[in-house]
Amino acid sequence: MKKLMSLGLCIALFSFLLAACGSNNGSSSGNSAGSANASGNTNASGNASASEDTSGKPVTIKFMHFKSDFTDQINQIVEQFEKENPNIKVEVQPVKYDDYYTLLKTKLAGGDIIDVFTLNAGFNTQLFADGGYLMDLTGQPFLNNFDENVVKGQATDGKNYIMPLNANPIAVFYNKKIFRDLGIEVPRTWDAMIAAAEKIKAAGKTPFALGWKDGWTLTMWDTRDLPSNTALVAGQPDFFDKIETGQAKFADNPAVKTTLDHALKLFELGNKDQLGVDYNGAVDLFAKGDVGMMYMGTWPLPDIEKKNPDLYNNDLGYFPYPFSNDESLNKLDFNADASLAIGSNTKHKEAALKFLEFMSSKEGGDAWVQNIKSLSYVKGTSTDIAPALKDLQPYFDNAQTYDSQLFLAKTTIDWRAQFDQNLQNLFFKKTTEDKMIADMDAWVSKNHK
Amino acid sequence: MENLIRTARNEMWYLLFMLPGICLFVMAVIIPLIMGARYSFTNWDGVSNSFGNVGFDNYVAAFHDPDFWGALWHTFKYALILTVLVNVLSLLLALVLDSFLPLRNLFRTIFFLPSVISIVLAGFVWSYNYSTGIPNLLSHFGIDASSPLGNPDTALFGLILIALWQGVGSPMIIYIAGLQGIPGELSESARIDGAGSWKTFLHVTLPLLAPSVTINLLLVLTGSLKVFDLVFVTTGGGPGFATDVMSTYIYRTSFSSFKGGYGMALSMMFFLILVIVTIVQMSISRRREVEM
Repeated sequence: MKKLMSLGLCIALFSFLLAACGSNNGSSSGNSAGSANASGNTNASGNASASEDTSGKPVTIKFMHFKSDFTDQINQIVEQFEKENPNIKVEVQPVKYDDYYTLLKTKLAGGDIIDVFTLNAGFNTQLFADGGYLMDLTGQPFLNNFDENVVKGQATDGKNYIMPLNANPIAVFYNKKIFRDLGIEVPRTWDAMIAAAEKIKAAGKTPFALGWKDGWTLTMWDTRDLPSNTALVAGQPDFFDKIETGQAKFADNPAVKTTLDHALKLFELGNKDQLGVDYNGAVDLFAKGDVGMMYMGTWPLPDIEKKNPDLYNNDLGYFPYPFSNDESLNKLDFNADASLAIGSNTKHKEAALKFLEFMSSKEGGDAWVQNIKSLSYVKGTSTDIAPALKDLQPYFDNAQTYDSQLFLAKTTIDWRAQFDQNLQNLFFKKTTEDKMIADMDAWVSKNHK
Repeated sequence: MENLIRTARNEMWYLLFMLPGICLFVMAVIIPLIMGARYSFTNWDGVSNSFGNVGFDNYVAAFHDPDFWGALWHTFKYALILTVLVNVLSLLLALVLDSFLPLRNLFRTIFFLPSVISIVLAGFVWSYNYSTGIPNLLSHFGIDASSPLGNPDTALFGLILIALWQGVGSPMIIYIAGLQGIPGELSESARIDGAGSWKTFLHVTLPLLAPSVTINLLLVLTGSLKVFDLVFVTTGGGPGFATDVMSTYIYRTSFSSFKGGYGMALSMMFFLILVIVTIVQMSISRRREVEM
């Protein structure tokens, strides 16, 4: 009897295990089916729970973003949203930018559901839109809260998959006190900036704070210097479209050499250990007040305010990055960043739309501006985020802004990492400019036939 | 016949208890391996649902890929240097800590402690140490230091140092256990025969320690050949590809360059290389072991 019972138990256990195996297999095939009809965007369960939303049941939506520096601040904005929409809970998942797109790709390809997530306009959006992972937002009423040009500028193949939100000037912070003491004018050309830097170096201070240990800081610089010089100085605005189709080579573009020269100059005039210091280290250096300039978006403002309020309030200046020696070309680079998208496989479509609606309202936009210390595309939101931003006001008023990222938007080839690593070899004289350009062309032709 | 059924019935119990393990192993190792092998013959981009077969193209491409050879070279450089250093250092520590030493339990704990924290955390701690902590400390003595991770010439050694600091603990414990298993009479009689402490170590202790050496070499070597987390969080393969090891290269090809099929082919090749290295290493060091 006893033996029989244990045998029975064993069989039960075993069949349970087999069932576990089986159900796992089932769900993995279910996953592929899920991503297959992600483009179709109609599965029964999706419809069923979408109708549940309207019945006022509490729902939870997942919001993944790459502004991990602002985890607390974003949580505050989300809290504000939750207070107004008691039926909707938002589960926030901050991810570091360097890992963000890998994680997002893997999650979406694996059939994971993320209801709302941040995306950069341009090639990233194109990629996800082509894969059928994004919900079409064209014609949603909340898009009227933005300037028509901005909405048009962020459209992909004429459709709006993302809602613009955050806007960032990318420019050069400078220490007004150092500039004053050394009698340096705010530079309007590349040569003037380098002359200023050399003057600062001669005075025994560091000209540029560089935190190039982090991949994105170096990338941020060269994905602005290169397209700006390519499109506006070398006159090849469609260079990156041609790279995509194999019609152009890096060797044909004189701006590549310009960018490499610029990079070497910056490296020479930067703080020591440029590739061993990360973004936070660079901001630290700059906040201490011994560094003349730092090329950056508005992100470090809260940090600088905390570390050196005196510098922040009195001596912090901000000027457009002079990528060329032609003053009329050196406008203010103003890019969209962290636009919002809804996953096409979301089960809580209405809740997700509500969230976007909130973020596009004046209230949501103001909450964004106040918490993130960044500008918002939402019409009528405040621009008063830091004293240093006042320096840029004339450029906004005279519409002297441009978006360097639009020149890049057409290529899905991720040449950045390869370019950065080669650039680092160039810094340490392990390659020459000509060899590096040849290597880049070889890499592109090898990887993207 | 009767006998066979009886054995089958007796053995079935063992089989039954093994099944959960086998089931897990098949799901987590065998099936992904087969799926990976299948993908390695395709031009799958890692995201989309459609792909075509390309035969052995990926494998041929890998042979002509300088980045692949570069990454493989870095991997072996890293693994071999680390294996030697870890084993020498942990054996030394074990010898010291096995003999009489005041506070030896305290020292054992101290040397073992770094192994307890995760390698990712160690990576973060050390990138801070390298770039800020140590230079600040040395600047008080008038020495101008910068992070080894910021220079392609020294980055790999910077990583090896972190891995050494972190990895010395567990081999040390294995060596201590091995040393304690060696009867004291043997070295005592060697000493009576006139052998010095170096000779005793070389001819008595080391041969008897051979099983520990085998297992430690194997564990450290295979572990360090597969290194990913440390490299990924501290340098990400940079600067200038100087620390690009196989696993980070595979990761980059599969996820950043959208070449899932090619990445799979690279993984398969790397898998084969690992198997061969393990077999060779095992057969060499097994031969050196002596029975007590």
